[in-house]
Amino acid sequence: MASRRLFLAGMAGVLAAPSIARASGSMTAAIYPGTWDEAYRAIVAPLLRQNHNVNVAFEPLFAVDQVAKVRAARGVAPFDCFVLDPGPAAAARQAGLFEQIDPKLITNAGNLPAGMLTADSATVNVQVVGICYNPKKFPEPPKSWADLFRSPYVERLGLTGFQTTFGTVSLIEMAKVFGGSTTNVEPIFAKLKEVLPKVAAVSTPAALPGLFQQGQIDIMYTNTNNAATLKGRGVDIAFVAPTEGAITFATTLHIVKGAENKANAHRYIDAALSADAQSKLQLSPFNMIPVNKDVQLAPNLDIKSLDELSKMVTHDWNVINPRRAGWIDRFNREITK
Amino acid sequence: MSQRRTFADQSFSCVFGGLTLLGLLILVGPVFIVLITSFTTSASLRFPPPELSLKWYQALFDTTQSAHIHRAAGNSLWVASMATLGASILAVLAALAIGRSRRPAARALEASFLSPLILPSLAYGLATLMFFALLGLRPSLTHLIGGHLVVIAPFVFRTTLATVTQLEPALLESSASLGAGRFMTFRRITLPLIAPGIFAGAFLAFVASMDNVPVSLFLSSARTDMLPIRMWGMMESTLDVRVAAVSGVLILVILVLMFVMDRLTGLTRRMSF
Amino acid sequence: MRAAAVDWRLAAPLGIVYLALFAAPLLLLLGISLHADQDLQQWGLDNWTKFWGDAFYRGVVWDTLRLGVAAVLVTSLFAWPLALFFCNASPRTQKVLIFIILLPLLTSVVIRTFAWIVILAREGLVNQVALALGLSATPLRLLQTETGLVLALMQIEMPLMLLPLISVMRGLDPNLLDASRALGAGMWRSFFRVILPLSLPGWIAGATLVFASACTAFISQSVIGGARLVYLPSLIWQQAMVVYDWPFAAVCSVTLLLTVLAGIMMLNWLGRYARTD
Repeated sequence: MASRRLFLAGMAGVLAAPSIARASGSMTAAIYPGTWDEAYRAIVAPLLRQNHNVNVAFEPLFAVDQVAKVRAARGVAPFDCFVLDPGPAAAARQAGLFEQIDPKLITNAGNLPAGMLTADSATVNVQVVGICYNPKKFPEPPKSWADLFRSPYVERLGLTGFQTTFGTVSLIEMAKVFGGSTTNVEPIFAKLKEVLPKVAAVSTPAALPGLFQQGQIDIMYTNTNNAATLKGRGVDIAFVAPTEGAITFATTLHIVKGAENKANAHRYIDAALSADAQSKLQLSPFNMIPVNKDVQLAPNLDIKSLDELSKMVTHDWNVINPRRAGWIDRFNREITK
Repeated sequence: MSQRRTFADQSFSCVFGGLTLLGLLILVGPVFIVLITSFTTSASLRFPPPELSLKWYQALFDTTQSAHIHRAAGNSLWVASMATLGASILAVLAALAIGRSRRPAARALEASFLSPLILPSLAYGLATLMFFALLGLRPSLTHLIGGHLVVIAPFVFRTTLATVTQLEPALLESSASLGAGRFMTFRRITLPLIAPGIFAGAFLAFVASMDNVPVSLFLSSARTDMLPIRMWGMMESTLDVRVAAVSGVLILVILVLMFVMDRLTGLTRRMSF
Repeated sequence: MRAAAVDWRLAAPLGIVYLALFAAPLLLLLGISLHADQDLQQWGLDNWTKFWGDAFYRGVVWDTLRLGVAAVLVTSLFAWPLALFFCNASPRTQKVLIFIILLPLLTSVVIRTFAWIVILAREGLVNQVALALGLSATPLRLLQTETGLVLALMQIEMPLMLLPLISVMRGLDPNLLDASRALGAGMWRSFFRVILPLSLPGWIAGATLVFASACTAFISQSVIGGARLVYLPSLIWQQAMVVYDWPFAAVCSVTLLLTVLAGIMMLNWLGRYARTD
């Protein structure tokens, strides 16, 4: 299995590297739990140690938890680097939680498409959101967002709310199908109310993979990384882009305001952007869509070329963020029994 | 005089027997599912497993592949041990302080020393995070030990208090009348008598600390990764079977620990809150 | 018996640690709840009035209380038979039973939620049995219902109820039951007139723990209960970690604290009432 070999290769790197005592420095980075944690531990960390003799310790936290933790710490950065989705990133930027990134310290800056490296953020991966289904239960997959709310799909649908990035953007797109917009998600609430008695589950996003695996639900909306990871672990799952278009958004790294190890944080971001790391991160079981132009896209990704991304749906989180708290509250009220 | 088993008595046996059986089933069923799942050959948590193997235990014990789990387990063990030790010393002193008093002050102290048990720990975790942050402290294992200590101290306090209140006052008085000092009386008379209560409480406290999510969730950090938090991350999105294997190992370790402690202290007879 | 005084010197160390690491953070939480804005600049009761002025949030408080009560009731239903069984068992069996009782505490809450998905899901164990026996024509909806959640909570809370109950029942004089039986009382009558009242202190201790724990079991509530059942802990989580509204999260936290305290005082009041009866 290629992934296992890769994993072991990464681990061999860990072994080959000298003990922590000889490292010239260290740093800490927040990382999403699960796939991201495994991937960065296996690929980016050894690279950073090899090239700069820097040890990175990872703290698994979801985006919102990272921001909450840094906010709670009020100036005492609990870690050096964020990894964030656009919503939490916009919120963190507004709260002034980012340090500036010095582009001169990012050697890979030239290999990135325009706009991926900004004054305070570096895009390391793009995510693509669409519909996932169990091909064994549904030879005919749902084709559009609207299909999710029709029989026989709706009875097997797992719903999740506005807490996550993928949940929020998916629900916005569904609202559009029923006549809404980014600022007006009323139609989806009306639709939810109608189908709630029928849907298989309304769940926290974290519980969805388990529910899918054990057959409680057969259809959900999520990103391609999740789908590919589950598929790699033997779960019957397939990804389909809805006819209205798949959704895309960027995952970005940022340096935390007041970080202890600013120089090493730059090196860490640079290592994550390198063609070396990105070409490995795109392989199974990690399946992360790369951004470095030097990387040839692997066949396991659900897109063929980065050009496809430009045709996908994107969202302005500065519009979404101020409304999101209201939507979350509304979702609670509408779905509560 | 022989008692005839009436219909009512039979119905009692049926109902209580049935409830006992169902109760036992509900207690052990989920644990068995976890254990069986941990022996699966499949690549993700799936029940029932297609075939059985030890491969996930091998993966768990692999020092390179599971290094981060080992580190988290080491942190958890260290925090649980230190917090349990600290909590035991403080709680035993506190139990001795009020154990033989019936005054309102003693009741009030007892209630406040037990209060973390009924505290929504999610709220407490959040509060401690903000508290340490306001003091300008970076996250460290010491904070975790402090947070855990508060949450688990009531376990030791409760079991120790139960044994202290059962102490025969005459015993202590006679010891004193024979000229033994306070410390001598404590070491030779009191401590051996209350030791089982302390051990039982310490055991429960240790287990509670090892499985604590809410406090660790807020206080752990990259350098102070804790086992349950690490497991939560592994469980979500990747359905990593090593999570089940960790449970298998924990159950085995605690089974052995209980067996040893039972031999030493009669633990199972003191296992009360 | 002489009422000994409290030895303050021995109580002080734990007291001081609690003041520093327990009382202080909670006071801070209360202070934050009394702020009107998210940047914690202005004092005010705005968030308290927002919470209690809204029927939805009051409903969440009520549901949380109800969940705690349901968990206590279901746990009690099984706890007394199990405790009786324990007390009548041989010492060797008792040791095995203690291990079984402690088992739920030894499996991490993280993996336990997975086990309950396996049991309660649409294609789960309960449904397979129900369909095979013809008890139901279509799969029952168990996961993400209050029934499923209470069942799962019962498993994890059971040790908290059983341990105090057993320790009290083991202290009961076995002659009492014999005497009751000798006087011709049936098992039911002996149980309700002798065992139940005498073991009540243990039950109250256990019920207190079960109630508090069920009200605050965040992971079980959100995974097994699902998003359609909203309780105070998930509200706290959302407000603190998703919406970043800290004062409001603090209001929810303090409310949860008060809710649990109210429930526990009710239990103790019930206990006192029963004892004087």
